[in-house]
Amino acid sequence: MENIQSTAEEHTIRDLLPQKFGKWGKRFTVFLVLVCLLGAYAYYRQLRYGLVVTAMRDYASWGIYISNFVFFVAISLVGSLITAVFRLLNVGWSKPLTRIAEVIAVAAIIFAALIIIVDMGRPERFYHLFLYGRVQSPIIWDVIVITTYFFISLLLLYYPLLPDLKILLRFKERSSPGLQKFYRFIGSFWKGTREQVRLSDRAISILCVTIVPVAFSIHTVTSWLFATTYRPGWDSTNFGAYFIAGAFLVGAGSVTIAMYVFRKAYHLEKYITDDHFDKMGKIVVLLALVYLYFNLNEFLTPVFKMKKSEAGYLRDLLTGDFSGVFWFAILTGMILPIIVLLFRKGRRPLPVFIVGIMVVVGAWLKRYLIVTPTLLNPFLPMRNVPESYHRYFPSWEEWAIAFGSLAGCLLVITLLVRIFPIIPIQETLTEQYEAVEK
Amino acid sequence: MLTALLAAGAAAGCHSGESAFPAAAGSEVQPSGKKVKLLSVDGEIVEVDQAFLKPVPHLPPLSNTEERLGIPGKKFVMVIDLSRCKNLRKCQEACNHAHELNPGQNWVKVYPMQDAEHTAPYWEPTTCMHCDEPPCVKVCPVDATFKRQDGIVLIDSDRCIGCRFCMAACPYSTRVFNWSAPEIPAEKAKQPYSCETSMPQKKGTVGKCDFCADMTRKGELPHCVTACPNGTFLFGDMNEDTVTNGSETFRFSDLIRDKAGYRLMEDLGTKPSVYYLPPVDRNFPFQSGEEEDSIQKKS
Amino acid sequence: MKPLKNSCIAVLVFVVSLPGYHAFCQPAAKGRLTVALSYVAVNDKLPYLVARAKTKINGRFRPVGGVTLNLYLTDDSSGHLIGEVVTNDKGEASVLIPPALRQEWDRSMKHTFLIRFRGNGDFGPADGDLTVARAKIRVDTLAGRKISATVLEWKDSGWAPVKGVDVAIAIRRLDSWLNVNQTATFTTDSTGSAQADFKRDSIPGDEKGNIVLVAKVDDNDNYGSLLQEMTVPWGSKFTGENAFAQRTLFATRNKAPVWLLITAYTIVICVWGVLGFLAVNLVKIRNSAV
Repeated sequence: MENIQSTAEEHTIRDLLPQKFGKWGKRFTVFLVLVCLLGAYAYYRQLRYGLVVTAMRDYASWGIYISNFVFFVAISLVGSLITAVFRLLNVGWSKPLTRIAEVIAVAAIIFAALIIIVDMGRPERFYHLFLYGRVQSPIIWDVIVITTYFFISLLLLYYPLLPDLKILLRFKERSSPGLQKFYRFIGSFWKGTREQVRLSDRAISILCVTIVPVAFSIHTVTSWLFATTYRPGWDSTNFGAYFIAGAFLVGAGSVTIAMYVFRKAYHLEKYITDDHFDKMGKIVVLLALVYLYFNLNEFLTPVFKMKKSEAGYLRDLLTGDFSGVFWFAILTGMILPIIVLLFRKGRRPLPVFIVGIMVVVGAWLKRYLIVTPTLLNPFLPMRNVPESYHRYFPSWEEWAIAFGSLAGCLLVITLLVRIFPIIPIQETLTEQYEAVEK
Repeated sequence: MLTALLAAGAAAGCHSGESAFPAAAGSEVQPSGKKVKLLSVDGEIVEVDQAFLKPVPHLPPLSNTEERLGIPGKKFVMVIDLSRCKNLRKCQEACNHAHELNPGQNWVKVYPMQDAEHTAPYWEPTTCMHCDEPPCVKVCPVDATFKRQDGIVLIDSDRCIGCRFCMAACPYSTRVFNWSAPEIPAEKAKQPYSCETSMPQKKGTVGKCDFCADMTRKGELPHCVTACPNGTFLFGDMNEDTVTNGSETFRFSDLIRDKAGYRLMEDLGTKPSVYYLPPVDRNFPFQSGEEEDSIQKKS
Repeated sequence: MKPLKNSCIAVLVFVVSLPGYHAFCQPAAKGRLTVALSYVAVNDKLPYLVARAKTKINGRFRPVGGVTLNLYLTDDSSGHLIGEVVTNDKGEASVLIPPALRQEWDRSMKHTFLIRFRGNGDFGPADGDLTVARAKIRVDTLAGRKISATVLEWKDSGWAPVKGVDVAIAIRRLDSWLNVNQTATFTTDSTGSAQADFKRDSIPGDEKGNIVLVAKVDDNDNYGSLLQEMTVPWGSKFTGENAFAQRTLFATRNKAPVWLLITAYTIVICVWGVLGFLAVNLVKIRNSAV
């Protein structure tokens, strides 16, 4: 009995241990590094010449850096959803997905902070935020919550990782000596004793409870960067809930993409099953419906009123310059996913993966639509400025930096997945053990 | 010699012998003990201490703390008479020149406005409103923009991190950003920054109208006020209840009451310090401003 | 031979006349400087002269700084030099009457001032003059909040009233004078005075309600500029009130509203307290392995 069990265990472990990059893995990593380097070069140009290398000007004073920032903050909420909320609700099937969610969350929050520094006109004065910070400013609230969320996410990644580190250390042949040294440094003290398990479980429970309000506040405060201004499209009481609904949706979408990619790349079909896709598909439908509902509230009531200050902005979005992007985002980000995923056939792995991509792309476009159309519809007419100030389309430097940050986020995810098991090994073993016991 | 003797504060027009403000701390003129003989209006010879005849000594630069406090007991206010504006944009020229702004940056903007289809068109010059509840100051994360006790809202370009939140928050679109390095000579760019003159401007920071805080401290009018040939801008201290454009002086409360002055976007609750007088009995038709526009575009 | 000789002479003449050619060239046109004088007598203080230099550019007068002007009394002999001044960047310069010219000053009741500009690289020479009679202005208050301004001229070793001078009666403000009523200027009558009713009730003064009344003559052709001030308690008391020292959302970081401070610090302390506890927990886990 023991032998069969241990063989089965070993089998599971060997399946789940981090695998070396295959051909495509290496190519993908190199591609990401190149994109990051291009972004770094564009940022060097920005540091040298100033923000004039972007297409942002006095009216469109915020651009895709800020939309990227909101996008990253939104995605980072996935950690709290999949890991914390599901765990608190005792949802069992999501357990294999918790590590993916946490890794995405940590990577996203790092790059949220980095892209905000990129957007600053004087990044060398970053420390002013800590030395001279005004607690009345929503930006300071954002700095506080993002820092807090980063540490909570890191802890929520680290604590469940401890049992897996012991397994990683046991299977020396599967990792390089350097990696082994790293594993020993961060987790050799974990022995799996009853006391340790008790402390760890308690800590994880506390983390799960704490991370939910912090996650809510991180995206609410980010939404207040817009909602505390008077501008049409931003002057909404709805923004906190609207942003959080969108964040959960894009987080779930990104998890489905990651699920599919890792399943395929690391042959994890036994652990990320079709049933997981089916269930995640249902989650995405639910979240998409909720987000669609918030969008309806956000746009229908102002259109009904057509206030003078908002009319230009609404027309731009619905029928004007931004209407193409707007309807595309609504279609691909919400409506098509809902339609596809309502059917059982649509909740198979490949359709869910494609829908996940659509959701993420739609979400990025929505974030762009939150920032730019409002800024191009100020209260007073745009006047006494050069012609180019009346429009905004990002320059190549902005695109390079934006994609560089996305590539950087993916690079961090890829790196973390390379060194840590993407599916929690110990939890899987515990589940299997419990299943056998039954 | 006598050529070196200038009456203290004897710039033309300043008929009183003393500055309207108490001199900055540490620069009060001390009697030197050396007396000089001069002729009075009655033909008498009088003796005056030489120190009092020197030009006002170069005032030491104000500290950042003093600049952030402002001048006590004053509350600066501006009144813009919309019936006089002809879109000549001399105000813009003077302001841009005095603050050495980059091309494309205008702290004073002149808008063609028409509130509704059948209401009168008019030219509306705007400066920073120096609101009493400034949304830009509320959102600044590092105290780079601040409101002083004399009502002026200034920017400290040594503190600004360039996040541009204040630009998003301002509903009057009055703030501009230095996207590239300002085009000023290197020696000027190296000078220490003064919040009151808002110079030298720095790359990656925000700029806006400062009610020429350095001029008002000396008792002079901002550049836009003196530059307008039609006297559209009136500037003064609300605590003295007087505004002037250099040649005409009015009692502020009477002016606003009699001519139904108002403020822009009052419903937002920003409490601006700039009042507007409606374009009643216009001095010039609106179209003459459009002609100015086309002339300026050609030149 | 002859054609060659002729052409040689032609070349020689041409070469010799080359320097002369430059003399025939138009010299760079010099600008025209306009100089003017004002005489200012303020509050029984020492009278002074203000010299202004300006030039017409594109049809508008612009001040010229850095030009040296010489001012004389009565005539431009060196003994009557009042002073040599250089205009500042506003195109103005001031000078006081030196006691050395006392004799010339006492010689007549009218004074002629001359201003001479010798010319420099940019401008041709220019001059101007101003003749003023010695005069002074007095301001006084009468019953019923009336103000009277009297203009007196020095005539035959005595001060005599002057009729028909335009006088402005106003209140001194930050950078301007506010008329005491709707009328801008008053003309002195045969007694040399003009009267005005004080109509600016409750105009803010200082903390005690003092305001400074002023009577002035602006650049009169005969008398120059005259001014006298008087402090009266006719203003309303000034009480400075503003939100600068209060705790508000738009105050500096030191003056954040208390409710915001409490909320922010409580949340941060609670959450980071939990984080701290979790970090300590890690240490406990580490230690329990031993």
